[in-house]
Amino acid sequence: MYNSVDELQAALNEQDYIAERGLSVTIYLALKTGKPLFLEGDAGVGKTEIAKVLSTALSTDLIRMQCYEGLDVNTAVYEWNYAGQILHMRLMEAARGHSRDNEGLAREAMESELFSERFLLKRPLLQAIEQSRDGKAPVLLIDELDRSDEEFEAFLLELLSDFQISIPELGTISATVPPVVVVTSNRTREIHDALKRRCLYYWIDYPHFHKELQIVERKAPDVPAMLARQITAFIQDMRSMELFKRPGIAETLDWTAALIALDQNELSLETVQDTLGVILKYQDDVEMLDPTTIQNMIDRAKVEAQRA
Amino acid sequence: MSENGPIKGVFLGPADAPYDYDGGKLTHNLILFGRVCRALGMNVTPNRMMEVGRALAHIQLGRKQDFYYTLRSHLVNHPKEFDYFDEAFDIFWRRPSDGFTTLNLQSLGEERRKKKTQFLPPLESSPSENGAKADELDSSMIALVPTYSRKERLRHKDFAEMTAAELEMAKRVIAKMPESLGMRRTRRFESGKGRVINMRRLMKDMIRKNGDVTRLPTHRRKEKPRPVVLLCDISGSMERYTRVLLHFMHTLAGSLYQVESFVYSTDITRITRQIRQKNVDDALEDIGGTVLQWGGGTMTGECLHRFNWTWSRRVLGRGAVVMLITDGWDRGDIPLLHREMARLQLSCRRLIWLNPLLDVPEYEPLTRGAQALLPYVHDFLPITNLANLEAIVKALQNLASRPSAEVYRRRYLA
Repeated sequence: MYNSVDELQAALNEQDYIAERGLSVTIYLALKTGKPLFLEGDAGVGKTEIAKVLSTALSTDLIRMQCYEGLDVNTAVYEWNYAGQILHMRLMEAARGHSRDNEGLAREAMESELFSERFLLKRPLLQAIEQSRDGKAPVLLIDELDRSDEEFEAFLLELLSDFQISIPELGTISATVPPVVVVTSNRTREIHDALKRRCLYYWIDYPHFHKELQIVERKAPDVPAMLARQITAFIQDMRSMELFKRPGIAETLDWTAALIALDQNELSLETVQDTLGVILKYQDDVEMLDPTTIQNMIDRAKVEAQRA
Repeated sequence: MSENGPIKGVFLGPADAPYDYDGGKLTHNLILFGRVCRALGMNVTPNRMMEVGRALAHIQLGRKQDFYYTLRSHLVNHPKEFDYFDEAFDIFWRRPSDGFTTLNLQSLGEERRKKKTQFLPPLESSPSENGAKADELDSSMIALVPTYSRKERLRHKDFAEMTAAELEMAKRVIAKMPESLGMRRTRRFESGKGRVINMRRLMKDMIRKNGDVTRLPTHRRKEKPRPVVLLCDISGSMERYTRVLLHFMHTLAGSLYQVESFVYSTDITRITRQIRQKNVDDALEDIGGTVLQWGGGTMTGECLHRFNWTWSRRVLGRGAVVMLITDGWDRGDIPLLHREMARLQLSCRRLIWLNPLLDVPEYEPLTRGAQALLPYVHDFLPITNLANLEAIVKALQNLASRPSAEVYRRRYLA
């Protein structure tokens, strides 16, 4: 575990994650106080990445749970292996033959055997709690919580406050050391205050020029220096436009990879037009960028790249 | 570090002070700061402040940035609040001016505490105090008024209080209000007659019956009311209906599930929180104080653009029903209006247009704005008298399921 914010920041940096001070402080406190981390921000700013990097840095497992509407206890926590149970039940019956002795006793035995750990399918949340109980607290990523519904949110609220899960047939399983929980949201709907209150909140913004340039250079070491600057300046410029979906860092990196694959040394009108689909995912947004606009943006990016 | 008990480890004293130094003035100031945040409408509980105190034990207090983020990650949980927090933080935790020593900090804090009213409480948390306090302020004080955009000019609009007759009508209307504007099958299951076998229940049954299957218990998709989004035109041409429409929105917001409300003329404002207040007079007064250009021109295209751009992804999920309340008079960009209506239609389940001008018997939606709206709406609600709430509700009750594109075309466009 880390002893100061600087240490944590260095560790993140080593994993090629460039975190601003505020994020480092928040993560550090989350680790120290055992509180879940609640990250919000637009798509593609590195919310999910944090959890991955954190698990590598802490050398623990990453358990990821992608949220969606209708996510319920059966998919999030545990489920019984029904097919296995039915098969086993038939086998037990065959072994018992047709004797009708001690029927009540047999039924009880059957029940306890069928609802034992052998037929328990562990889903992400149970896995996380169990690993924490065994002293290997993993990083638990609850991704895009805004996609789930209120019912699941309410369940999560309970879980995040005591880190225990009760299975009626088996009993309660609780984590001795709470797992490192990272909750992310794209804000397609507002998450309830009660849940946010249990967490440490951080809003990840789009990075400024120098930080983004650093990220590009780190993640794509073979990119020509001038191209990296131009790409970053171009994307930064694009984010100031009124687009339906502004490109995130993920798009910047994808675009960089695309331009490298095309053996480009600098931005040109033709390549930008051809690769626009890597950055913009809405037709309305693509239409906003006619050749003149793109050319202007390229010119500006080149000037900016020289200056920076 | 102790989990309970006094906050320890917050260390500001001399180097040789014992470890369990009580935190001295910092704790005190922290608490005062918490109060300032609370006055700004942030949800700061004593418990939360305790957590801040404990968290501070982990960081280097000397680094102001770290201190700032520790406070912020605990006290703020909405990006909207960042600005108020920053302002409060800068004012409260500034470097003392010359002649100040840390000993003065306490009295400084006390002084600030007494001047707490220099921050206006947010409109949505305590509407009743607003008016009075705003009057007391002199211009040298700092006024922090949370609005959705600082560019919006506040222009107060007075709504007369509800009369007894109106309240009586409101009651009748609420009783008749349909429970929802359509149901949506969710992806969650509930037990009941359906087509999917409920394995868990089947297992229990089989054990009870010694392994025999005597019946197949099923479960089915749960249904929930669709969320509703209200977009109401409050421009000049709609002025005579504005009051009753807001009243109508208030009723809807109170009786339907998940209602998001917006009003627009030259700009669009979300009034969901304001309109959700129980008392309709409070709600209207609050909206009158928060909202922008009452009775201005209508720029539906521009407003819908802003709605589509900033709000649609937040409020149009889960098969929402959109109700657009406007007379179709428009002074804005018509091609833009076409584009934005097309997008709006694609991103919601059903688009209902309530039009008040229909009370003129020979009315036909011939204005440019109306022509732009018409091809994109699913339902065109003929309200003979928009000033009468009961008429609107009646129209809603008669609302059948969403017409198919074909049916719609035959009904309205042929």
